[in-house]
Amino acid sequence: MSAIKLEHLVKRFGAFTALKTMDLSITDGEFMALLGPSGCGKSTTMNIIAGMETPTEGRILFGDRDMTGVPMGRRGVGFVFQNFAIFTHMTVRRNLDYGLRMTGRPTAEIARRTNAMAELLGLTALLDRPAQGLSVNILQRLAIGRSAVMEPAIFLLDEPLSNVDAAFRAVMRTELKSLQRQFRQTMVYVTHDQLEAMTMADRIAVMDHGVLQQVGTPLEVYNTPANTFVARFIGSPGMNLFTGKLTQTDAGLAVDLGPLGISPPLAPATASAAKRANGDVVYGFRPEEVTLAQPGEPALALPLNLTERIGARTILHLGTPQAEVRAVFQSGTAIPAGILRLAPAPAAVRLFDAGSGAALQVA
Amino acid sequence: MTIAEVQPLSKLKPARDDGARLGFRLTLPAQLLVLFIAVFPLLMQLYISLTDWSPLSGASWPQAWQFWNSFANYSDLISDNRLWSALGRTLFIIAICVPIEFLLGLGLATLFVDDFPGKRVAYSILIAPMMVVPAVAGYMFFMLFQSGGPVNDILSWFTPDPVAIAWLSDRHLALVAVMVTDIWQWTPLMFLILLAGLVGVPSDQLKAAALLGASPWQRFRTIVIPRMKTIIIIALAIRVIECFKIFDTLFIMTGGGPGVATETISVYIYKVTTNDLIWGYVAAIALAILIVLSIGAVWAMKRLAR
Amino acid sequence: MAEIAFRNVSKRFGSTQAVNNASFTIADNEFFCLFGPPLSGKSTVLRLILGLDTPDEGEVLIDGQVVNHIGPAARNIAMVFQNLALFPHMTAEHNIRFPLVERREPEARIRARVADAAAKLHIAHILHKHPGQLSGGERQRVAIARALVRDPAAYLMDDPISALDARLREEARVELKRMQREAGRTLVYVTHDQEEAMSVADRMAILELGAIRQIGTPDALYDHPGSAYVARLLGAPVMNILPVGANVITAPKRPGAAHLGLRPEDLTVTPDPAATATVTGVEPLGGYTVLTIAAGGEVLRAMLRGQPAFATGTPVSLSAAPARLHFFGPDGTRLAG
Repeated sequence: MSAIKLEHLVKRFGAFTALKTMDLSITDGEFMALLGPSGCGKSTTMNIIAGMETPTEGRILFGDRDMTGVPMGRRGVGFVFQNFAIFTHMTVRRNLDYGLRMTGRPTAEIARRTNAMAELLGLTALLDRPAQGLSVNILQRLAIGRSAVMEPAIFLLDEPLSNVDAAFRAVMRTELKSLQRQFRQTMVYVTHDQLEAMTMADRIAVMDHGVLQQVGTPLEVYNTPANTFVARFIGSPGMNLFTGKLTQTDAGLAVDLGPLGISPPLAPATASAAKRANGDVVYGFRPEEVTLAQPGEPALALPLNLTERIGARTILHLGTPQAEVRAVFQSGTAIPAGILRLAPAPAAVRLFDAGSGAALQVA
Repeated sequence: MTIAEVQPLSKLKPARDDGARLGFRLTLPAQLLVLFIAVFPLLMQLYISLTDWSPLSGASWPQAWQFWNSFANYSDLISDNRLWSALGRTLFIIAICVPIEFLLGLGLATLFVDDFPGKRVAYSILIAPMMVVPAVAGYMFFMLFQSGGPVNDILSWFTPDPVAIAWLSDRHLALVAVMVTDIWQWTPLMFLILLAGLVGVPSDQLKAAALLGASPWQRFRTIVIPRMKTIIIIALAIRVIECFKIFDTLFIMTGGGPGVATETISVYIYKVTTNDLIWGYVAAIALAILIVLSIGAVWAMKRLAR
Repeated sequence: MAEIAFRNVSKRFGSTQAVNNASFTIADNEFFCLFGPPLSGKSTVLRLILGLDTPDEGEVLIDGQVVNHIGPAARNIAMVFQNLALFPHMTAEHNIRFPLVERREPEARIRARVADAAAKLHIAHILHKHPGQLSGGERQRVAIARALVRDPAAYLMDDPISALDARLREEARVELKRMQREAGRTLVYVTHDQEEAMSVADRMAILELGAIRQIGTPDALYDHPGSAYVARLLGAPVMNILPVGANVITAPKRPGAAHLGLRPEDLTVTPDPAATATVTGVEPLGGYTVLTIAAGGEVLRAMLRGQPAFATGTPVSLSAAPARLHFFGPDGTRLAG
């Protein structure tokens, strides 16, 4: 009963269209991430699901019930705001049990459920403290607990970890995930951080400028991005993308990448997908999918500009200001200086139509 | 930078102190002038209140010591029945008018939180009564409440027989008329102050409360009003103190009459000052009221500081 | 030209010890990072360098000179604020000139300095625009140019990019690194994001509750953390720290060791029907996969390259190269070797 269906949602604010015909189905008990850069419409979508905004066109259903006109207090959804919206003039306890009190639950039940939730989130010692002045990390737990204690079937979180420091973020991600598993809620999570979405979500809905780009599991959007936007947005760093012309070489079909040279020959499956292109193609490969080429092996020759060693991974910045290439190697790999010869793994190369950006799917 | 790490400005080293001292020295003449204007009349009043002086006595006020009667004026005013009736009437007016002004002002303010077409026009109309000179308002309502006047005409629409109530000649109805006028003139002030407070309530918290299942009334009671506590206290304090001094409108409408039916404390003092001319006594009354009101103001400030 | 040094500096605010006996030296032209969790004193150290606070004990030195009692204006250190604080009503050029105009420098010198800073930061072509017309990155360059035009000994930044989207942060930190190289000035940079610190810093200082726990290059700190605290702070997922007695992997005996540290990327995971350890969670992150494993009463995370197919519940055996193990004493200090 807590599946969510968005049907042809359109949202306009005056002349500005925030959402352009959004169709999305979220299954019962799923953790769905709405991922995209600032201004892509993810928060607007969330607000429509919660009932804080009404769609200009389209419907929203919870299970079979049309919720489009239902006011926000009656939808039975939990909502965590980005800035928490804690009632700072009340104590922690009064925040936690607010929903239970307003919906008229019996006193004993209120106390029992509040105490249990406080215990779960480590807030027991702070229950009678005023919410004003508590640290950001505690306020975030309180914001989650305040909604969770109502045991909503659907839980909406709007970038809840963006105000929290990096180390605590990792801890909270795990906690949120186990909370969702424990209560079997449908969770919709808005974020601009693709790593967060990949870590936590069962499926990710990637959005840009009000349009849904792709919906899929983390591996689906990573391995088979539907277009260049998704390819570039997912992954740290995102996929390397270069426009070029298909060209026939002795070793097979390849792509002429201009200043970067001729790409290594395409794998047979990729080559047949390339045949369906109408002109230029975009040649894409992920930074993790490259190896240092052996002498004689076809490769891209690129100058090394900068090295970022980040713990286990080392990110290399290569190429020219006009054509930047990134490669990721395991730290400790011997990296020669000067010009590197990189060979993208043929099976991992993706082609996109240069005009539309859509992926040229391998049949 | 996380919130927890920002150091408050108070921890910054202050600039050299000379700035503050120089400022003090430069404004000293102005400070003395203000002191003179504020304090001198008070001292003068205190002096006269301890005497039995009157302008008819032949002596000028600095020689009031000739009529010294120490605290006799103060003990007189305690046993002055007319004074106490006037005081009671004033408190009665406050008790009726201020709550009504508050509730009406609050109600109107809630309507103005969100935008609606014609909001600015409606806003100007609503503020207008405050801009009217109190004496002019008095004349307006004097005319309105005449036996053959508009108020009775309108009431006649709702009754079978024509209504011809003599508002301003009736002991009880005159008070009602005066209160209606006060409410008309000062509700806009409450509206303004409370609107400012209302707009300051974070909308995110209201949304969060709604999503947790709180009805509009519950949100009002648990979020809006508690967060407006300070503003509400300020609004009520301002209005109570001002209402205590009610004079212009009332005096023009009824002159304190019929008889003493609408004689408030200010009207009484006025009458004693101009008719009986016992200015020593008047000074004592005025000073006593000043002390009472000051205590009230300090109490309100203390509650604010919480 | 501008070495910044702290010698046993302490600073208290009321009952809180914000900085506790801190000593370090920042070399000229270095990108020096102050890193630590919130409330570890990073911003206070910055304020002490700037001169907004004076130390209760110890000395702050700039170029070998004790500057404890020299006010911020005289110290020749520039600060770039998180919100950049550009004057919106002035063009970029006027913003950059501002500090020199305030100091009544001769016009010829102002022009030369502005041109120099603009060239270094590649913003000559946008000098005539107002901040409102510039992109975020361009605005940041203008703010840095304004800091540099005074020819400061060093410039400071307090968590300047944490408010940006994740993707923009990744690009911004590379930009900052490039800009610092081109500008050729010491940059003291505060952050609480370990990835950011490791990426940009030439050297970094790790703080805990006002005390400096370790200073070194990011590589040195990552590969040879001096304590379990430092080891856990750097690297994601966090280093696995297990009690020595836990029967999780075969490890050489180490006298005096209380805990064993193993980075997730150094853990080798092999499916093994006979093993007791099981996979309890699989996070496919595309380029690598993080496994959560329950073994011997402990919970560990392993980071594997690519997308190996592991299902929850698979029994696995764990191993690691002895050279990749870290041993920690009972007090948390790392044992050498």
